[in-house]
Amino acid sequence: MHDAPPPERTPLSTLLLKSQRRTFLGVDKQKAIRSFFALNSSAAIIVLALIMIFLLREGVDFLPTYRRELTTYRKAGLEFCDLISRPLAKHQQLCSRLRRAMSASLNTITQPARLRRDAAYQQMREVEEQTRLQRAVLTNQLALIPAPTPEKLSAARLELREATRAAVNRLPATPFLTPAENKQLKRELSLLSPETAELPVVLSLLSSAYIRVDQEAHQSFKPIVEAVEMFETAPDSLHELLDGLKKQARATKELALAEYAAANHKPVDFSGRAAQMTSQIPEISARIAGYISLAEKASSALPDRAGTAEATELLQEVRELLPIHLGEMKSAAKLLPEWRHDKRVTYFQVVVAFFFGDAWITNSSWQDFFGFVPLLAGSVLIALIAVLIATPLSVLAAIYTNQFAGAREQDFIKPIIEFIQAIPSVVLGFIGISLLGDVIKDVSEWSWLQWVPGFPIQERLNMFNAACLLALMALPTMYSLTEDALNNVPRAYIDASDALGATKLQTVFRVVVPAARSGIAAAVLLGLGRVIGETMVVLLVAGNRIAIPDFSAGPGVIFQPAHTLTGIIAQELGEVSRGSSHWQALFMVGIVLFVISLLVNWCARAFVRRFELSKS
Amino acid sequence: MLTSSKITAPPPPVVMVRDMDFAYGGSRALTDINVSFERHRVTALIGPSGCGKSTLLRCINRMNDRVPGARVTKGEILVKGKNVHDDDVDLTQLRKQVGMVFQKSSPFPKSIYENVAYGLRTHGEKTPDILDDAVERALRSAALWEELKDRLKQNALSLSGGQQQRLCIARAIATQPDVLLMDEPCSALDPIATLKIEELIHQLAHDYTVIIVTHNMQQAVRVSDFTGFLHLGKLIEYRPTEEMFTHPREKLTSSYLRGTFS
Amino acid sequence: MSLKPTAGSNPFLGAKSRIERRETMVRWLLRLCTFFIVAATLGILAHIFIKGAPVVFRSSWPFINTTFLTELPSTLHVIEDVKGHRQEVDVTHVDEVKAALGADFHADTTIAYSGGGILGPIVGTALLVFVSISVALFLGVSCAIYLSEYASKGKRVEMIRLAILNLAGVPSVVFGLFGLGAFVLTAPVLTDLPLERSLLKIPLGFSYLSFQGWDTCVLSGGFTLAFVILPVIITASEQCLQAVPQGFRETSMALGATRWQTIRYSVLPFAMPGILTSSILGIARAAGETAPIMFTAALAFKDKLPWQKDLPPLPADAGLFAQWEQSIGRFLGIFTESVQALPYHIYTIAAKIPQNEYSERAQYGSVFIFLVLVAALAAGSVLLRRHLRAKFRW
Repeated sequence: MHDAPPPERTPLSTLLLKSQRRTFLGVDKQKAIRSFFALNSSAAIIVLALIMIFLLREGVDFLPTYRRELTTYRKAGLEFCDLISRPLAKHQQLCSRLRRAMSASLNTITQPARLRRDAAYQQMREVEEQTRLQRAVLTNQLALIPAPTPEKLSAARLELREATRAAVNRLPATPFLTPAENKQLKRELSLLSPETAELPVVLSLLSSAYIRVDQEAHQSFKPIVEAVEMFETAPDSLHELLDGLKKQARATKELALAEYAAANHKPVDFSGRAAQMTSQIPEISARIAGYISLAEKASSALPDRAGTAEATELLQEVRELLPIHLGEMKSAAKLLPEWRHDKRVTYFQVVVAFFFGDAWITNSSWQDFFGFVPLLAGSVLIALIAVLIATPLSVLAAIYTNQFAGAREQDFIKPIIEFIQAIPSVVLGFIGISLLGDVIKDVSEWSWLQWVPGFPIQERLNMFNAACLLALMALPTMYSLTEDALNNVPRAYIDASDALGATKLQTVFRVVVPAARSGIAAAVLLGLGRVIGETMVVLLVAGNRIAIPDFSAGPGVIFQPAHTLTGIIAQELGEVSRGSSHWQALFMVGIVLFVISLLVNWCARAFVRRFELSKS
Repeated sequence: MLTSSKITAPPPPVVMVRDMDFAYGGSRALTDINVSFERHRVTALIGPSGCGKSTLLRCINRMNDRVPGARVTKGEILVKGKNVHDDDVDLTQLRKQVGMVFQKSSPFPKSIYENVAYGLRTHGEKTPDILDDAVERALRSAALWEELKDRLKQNALSLSGGQQQRLCIARAIATQPDVLLMDEPCSALDPIATLKIEELIHQLAHDYTVIIVTHNMQQAVRVSDFTGFLHLGKLIEYRPTEEMFTHPREKLTSSYLRGTFS
Repeated sequence: MSLKPTAGSNPFLGAKSRIERRETMVRWLLRLCTFFIVAATLGILAHIFIKGAPVVFRSSWPFINTTFLTELPSTLHVIEDVKGHRQEVDVTHVDEVKAALGADFHADTTIAYSGGGILGPIVGTALLVFVSISVALFLGVSCAIYLSEYASKGKRVEMIRLAILNLAGVPSVVFGLFGLGAFVLTAPVLTDLPLERSLLKIPLGFSYLSFQGWDTCVLSGGFTLAFVILPVIITASEQCLQAVPQGFRETSMALGATRWQTIRYSVLPFAMPGILTSSILGIARAAGETAPIMFTAALAFKDKLPWQKDLPPLPADAGLFAQWEQSIGRFLGIFTESVQALPYHIYTIAAKIPQNEYSERAQYGSVFIFLVLVAALAAGSVLLRRHLRAKFRW
């Protein structure tokens, strides 16, 4: 007899530790869940990569496109024309200076007469404006066909007469006219009607008086008037020739564009057309020489003194600037023979033209340029002003709330400053348009503030206005990060300083703030990053003038309008067609912005890391 | 008794605490403290954790002022014969003359030189020569001069733990205080560094009145001339150290010294 | 005998007054700086309130300008008669009013976008926010769960954190460019007739999966905004997850629960209130952004609400299924339409039309409503979080 074999038993260990896991395609559920989360966690990395990829995809073709455009610009001879017309543009600036000097001089004589005439005209316009409705009624009635009944007409006339008389009676007497003249003017104005085209007698008398005085003034400032006229007409013959050349160049460009659009178009004879242009070089040089001699003559004909000190100064400026301008013209003339239409445009030149180009000109009938510098200058300048405003305010406020304020005060201040973060940027931009612009402009007109450079300001919307609002936007970021940095200063430092008999102020400024300094630096940098990347405020408030700010205005430069990297994208991208060089240029700007933001972040992190090291 | 001591003992006690009660908000931390700390002597305060020895120490230079609700409810503290809570006491002047060293060494993240000169600078000293002299003297007194004289411009955080603590002592004595308060100055240090500090304390007793809080009874024996034992906010016993450790008068003291409780 | 010194021998006498004067001065300077910021903020808010509240509120029942909140933006006509009376008329009534005036009619001034109300922008913003917060919460919370529950310290986590930090610093207009390139022009759609520009066409048999983009629509804008607020959501969610005590996890694991079960039953339920509250902050941010939706979703003007789309009328005998299909199509159509959005509307009326008393009313009214919405969201988030923090204290 055999013993029955012992019943088969799974070993205890296997039983207890048996895996409950079921697998699917070799992956069990836990692993699948884990990798699901891992995948999602990479979202940030993936998005960053995608941003780069899509920006590059739309923008990277910019270089070849722009190179092609610049090649056409050269081949078609537009560049040839610009060789002359670029330096020639200075002529306009000089002209406007001279004209200002001239009118200031003339003004010394003509001002009383002009004021008298203008005051009278102003009064007439006032009356016309006030009786606008009645005049309109009468005009309508007169124009009606068939003509309305005479009663209706005379009623309308009567109404107008009444209204006019009332309006005239309301008019204050102007101080520029004598009482007798005022009286006569009123009498004549009360007869105003759209039916007569004649000017009131007083007005025509005043006008002719002004014309007479004006002629006298021209006589007494004859040298300056003549010199200015001579200078203004000096480049006329050169302009004439240039206009012909430009027309030709533009025609060539159009042909070239057509050739590019349709592959089977017959090729354009660039060299022949270029030869036509270059054959005119002697003529151009001769006319440039003519211009130069005329301009020099005009300049030497300028009198030493003008009517006012300011005008004299302007003349002096012109005398200083003219030789430089003429020198540029001369060197331009020398450059002409060296110009070749078939010289290759290298990629290096394209990159330089983009990153260091000083003009961003789009939708031009002549040639589009995508120069990056005006935008960068605007962005950087605005950001710097904003950070300069925001840094002291936020750091001092953080020091105050963190070190000095009582608990109640903190509970009041902190939520308000943190609330700034919740104000959408477009609302702040709107505030800049509707409120801050006017406030700044009004303040700039206060007489006791005229020592401030740039005051009174010309434009309501300018860089300073935008920078103020951006500073407000950057404040909460900088404030909370600074506060964090201050909080991270070890308690022991404060105790030790107290025990040495330092006052609260000494402790704060000699121990706490220095210990928190890299944290504060990081806060400022992150604020800067926020400011450079901000779009809506600068788009709405910065004034959107695409030009390198005129630094010759000194610190007053901050009151000029400017355009920015972010603003240009927001403003122009909606209106360009996909794939055009303009579109690609805007994406290039986007790439640069992206890189700037990464750099700023990296620097801020480096600061923070140093901070953490020094603490441990 | 008092009259005779006035005649026979020329150096009067620098710090006197009389009938003092102290409370944090509602809870009383110290009750009815009466003690005088002798001039140019080292006094140790011992007792179990939470007995109030640190609080007593911090009352002397009014470091407790900043704690909300903390105040002396009764009695007075006299330093150099002046009640420190009088209205005409300038806190910065008081702390200039009553220096303090903390449990955790806390040099500022500045150069060694600036650390030592800090106290003088905060009291308005700007002359470089005076500062140089004062720094050298303080570092010499703290037995650091030989080690550090060539790297005064180095960041203080690069020093070792023991050096940092001695630097803190140098920083505290640079303003030449009369009293030096030490709040467990060696608790974070290794034995060798501790030994150096203890030697230093002996040295310092020639020029300063030192009050040291310690939880280490051996240390109290090694460094102090007088010892006070606190328990639950009361000063149980205050006597010359030798007497205290050999013949404690109170039962509580002897059981603490024997280690029956801690 | 007393140890009390006479008044002259105070050893702790200091040059108190000079130092104190300086201390007070500096303290006041600091306080001035702080309160300058506070005053500027409050001033701006007060200005908007003073100018905007009269547009939105009425002095008589129902106290709220219902037209402004329930109508779409439209062109405002101001008709002036010969007596100089002006009346504001919307587009539909212009001819009527002109006819009634007859010969008395004098002038008709039109002011774009300033008539009607702002219902269209409000609805558009709500839709955009809905899409963006759904996407961002899904991605953000999963990312936070990975970072807080699964990941161990290492290169990968370092990289993720770095990416989140950098993503938070990317300018919003760059997000707009990205959204334009990625969602408007490239994202995949199911279509029978793929466009020429499609990046990639995958035939599926019944249809094509074509990478030709979603065009400017709510979806594109919502997804773009989702990535703008993603860093906010991730950071907030991770903080909430970290705040759940470690003990909860250990207890659960000790009872034999798997990692996922632990997260599902012992961590998420406690972290969720916090996550949702913090995400309100994300909503406020998404509602306030303009640049990302400029090229991806927003329209300056639209005279219909998203669901009022003209669909071909169904044949009379259409079955239930066809009707059902059409209403589904109508619902989905909401998300494939471009919309007006409040921030973009404000940009339009602030920048594109001349300032006068009529446009000013529309401007301040919209800004006021917008600010109230956003501020309420932000304040609500802060208050709720404070409340939660007091309630869940482990």
